[in-house]
Amino acid sequence: MLTTEQIEVWIRAGLDCTHLAVDGDGRHFEALIVSPVFDGLSRVQRQQRVNAVLREHFETELLHALSMRCMTPEEFNARG
Amino acid sequence: MNKEQIHKIVTENPVVLFMKGSKTFPQCGFSGRTAQVLKACNVDFVDVNVLAEADTVPELRDYADWPTIPVVYIRGELIGGCDITTEMYQAGELQAKLGDLMNPTRRALIEPLV
Repeated sequence: MLTTEQIEVWIRAGLDCTHLAVDGDGRHFEALIVSPVFDGLSRVQRQQRVNAVLREHFETELLHALSMRCMTPEEFNARG
Repeated sequence: MNKEQIHKIVTENPVVLFMKGSKTFPQCGFSGRTAQVLKACNVDFVDVNVLAEADTVPELRDYADWPTIPVVYIRGELIGGCDITTEMYQAGELQAKLGDLMNPTRRALIEPLV
């Protein structure tokens, strides 16, 4: 079964994250991803950056569903 | 469904939802929730059941650079999946983007989604 730790390793390998938290039950996962890379990108562009990093795992369907919130460090620090 | 067919359907219809199952009988929680958000906006949308043809998901992955289902298109523009559509709805951005596509007589009845 896919673990949250494995997903974190995959994301960190392709994306410079200042904060990363993945939660899930082995089938459906949620990720909070904070990266300066997202600065100036729209919501869809941010997810596309993460999707590109995880592409091969989506293709093999090892990774089926990943819900994500993508924030810049400034947005993350400013949240209420 | 191949890329040409995907391109045709998203450019010829104002709102398209690629989903698992149909808007009446969704077969995945994320697909069902996304259909619910669009219904809450009172827009007519075309639903494409990706489970009906095995090649739709890989073709869509290449066409949209988007690996997961559901996917929403508005006027040919990739909006995103369940998370983005829901976030935009809650922020009022989805309704702003849909604009005139929302049924005017029922627009006032839109309830916030839990």
